[in-house]
Amino acid sequence: MREITHDEAPVRRRSNWRAEWFRTETLMGYAFVLPLMLWLAGTILYPLIASVDLSLQNIKIIGSPGEYVGLENYQRALESPDFRDALKNSGVWVVANAVIQTVLAFGAAVILKQRFKGNGIARIWIILSWVVPTVVVVIIWRWLLSASGGVVNYLLVNLGLADKPVGFFSTGNMAFFTVIMINSWRWFPFNAVILLAGLQRIPEELYEAASVDGATTLKKLRYITLPSLQPVLFVMGLIGTLLSFNVFDVIWLLTAGGPSGATTTLPVLIYETAFKRYRLSQAAAMSVITGVILLVFAAIFIRFMSPAADAEED
Amino acid sequence: MTPRLRHNLVLGISLFLLMAFILAPFYWIFSSSIKSPQEIISATPTLVPHSFTLEHYDKLLNESAFPTYLKNSLLVAVGTMAITVILSTLAAYGLYRLRFPGRIMLFRIILITYAFPGVLLLVPMYQMMSKLKLVDSLESLVIVNVTLSAPFAVWMLQAFFRTIPRELEEAAALDGATRLGIIVRIMLPLAAPGVASIAIFAFIMSWTEYLFSSILIISEANRTLPVGLAGIIGQYQIDWGFVLAGATATTLPVLVLFGLVGRNFVEGLTAGAVK
Repeated sequence: MREITHDEAPVRRRSNWRAEWFRTETLMGYAFVLPLMLWLAGTILYPLIASVDLSLQNIKIIGSPGEYVGLENYQRALESPDFRDALKNSGVWVVANAVIQTVLAFGAAVILKQRFKGNGIARIWIILSWVVPTVVVVIIWRWLLSASGGVVNYLLVNLGLADKPVGFFSTGNMAFFTVIMINSWRWFPFNAVILLAGLQRIPEELYEAASVDGATTLKKLRYITLPSLQPVLFVMGLIGTLLSFNVFDVIWLLTAGGPSGATTTLPVLIYETAFKRYRLSQAAAMSVITGVILLVFAAIFIRFMSPAADAEED
Repeated sequence: MTPRLRHNLVLGISLFLLMAFILAPFYWIFSSSIKSPQEIISATPTLVPHSFTLEHYDKLLNESAFPTYLKNSLLVAVGTMAITVILSTLAAYGLYRLRFPGRIMLFRIILITYAFPGVLLLVPMYQMMSKLKLVDSLESLVIVNVTLSAPFAVWMLQAFFRTIPRELEEAAALDGATRLGIIVRIMLPLAAPGVASIAIFAFIMSWTEYLFSSILIISEANRTLPVGLAGIIGQYQIDWGFVLAGATATTLPVLVLFGLVGRNFVEGLTAGAVK
């Protein structure tokens, strides 16, 4: 080995640690991600496979033996009016929630974007309805909307907006509408802070330049705001739809799917079938069908709604 | 009226309405929870309580199972928080600071698991827990809650980890620091706001979880707050004073946490979405 001159030494040392660094990098990368991947494999992938297995049997209660019955559960689910009604209700649920929450969230984001004293505090506390347990949300609204002594009915009657207390959960349509509104109240602030973050990233100069060119507010919305928000709207549209589809507790705790099935969405039906009617295999088949429907939705959404430039970094 | 004044007036009113829409219902349950039973059910609701009593809270803490629910919820939330923080921080460091083949695909898989509707796991998860003899245990809830919160936590950490310059790590490595040393002494302190926000996220996720808790927990002694409160409002005759005190007390820990690190939390929530 020849002697290292003074000029060379630092360079050489540098390349050594670099080589070492990169050699271990791949290994370390996998090692760091591995624990989480194993955890998710055990708690999502394995149950998913198990549910396909379960759906092919005729198990009613956990622990009881079952035998393989082929696709019988699938056939029964697809033919049952309950399943079709729940599918339809889920469709209405997702669309109504998306529309109401988008309108409310956009309004809230525009208000919060303005400069005013204390806007930092307002931007944080706005999502209070999203961070409290659903059961608290349910208690709040059952109390506010109660037919006897509820403050909403008191105001409606005394302001002359209703002749008698409104039964917010009495008819199917009314109950569904009420639950959608309550869920939207819970979720729109979350969407609002996401939209707000998107709005804040649009350079102010774009709007100023457009004003100089004489663009109207509507034109600015159409040509500046919406295109700039596209990546955010894409994420909100995809993940928001899946999360909104998944909502169970607010419906279950307010109406238990009633009156007479009017608010029974697919999650409620799956829960009911498995744990109230004790048809575990039947519920597993419904879960698998639902999973396939959502997968198709996600694939179509990604295919047609993806922002033009892929937002993924490097 | 000048345009400037009008703008401020419109802004002030809409801001007031927006915040009242979110916060007034919370004021309403709190103020009702300290009213006397007669005032609570009176036909004319009172905005400011005319009576003051702590009897509902007294009943909640001394004559109901609420303290047990609270203890269970705290145990589950702290367990969820600890495991989520460890798993997600490790994964986030790997995904955002190291370069290795398949990294982007792994990142996408984690994102998919976040958007994955939990209700599809309900039946097989119950089956799995029953095979593992974990039904009716708090451990089962910790396991589920980590699965529900860790993927999003990784996403939240993205913005925090990416802002730390790579040169810092290289300089430390040049000085002979080990990977572990770099993570503990450089990365963690710099990513601390991010780690705090995912800890809060995991806590809140666990604190609010109802779906899985309602089927995995069977005995009264293992109920968490959401399941316990749901049992109380499921009864035919609702004692509103008691229920509202329970709802207020359940909201309180969230308020405290949120007051402490709400800013980081909201930052983390939005950082993932807009990058």
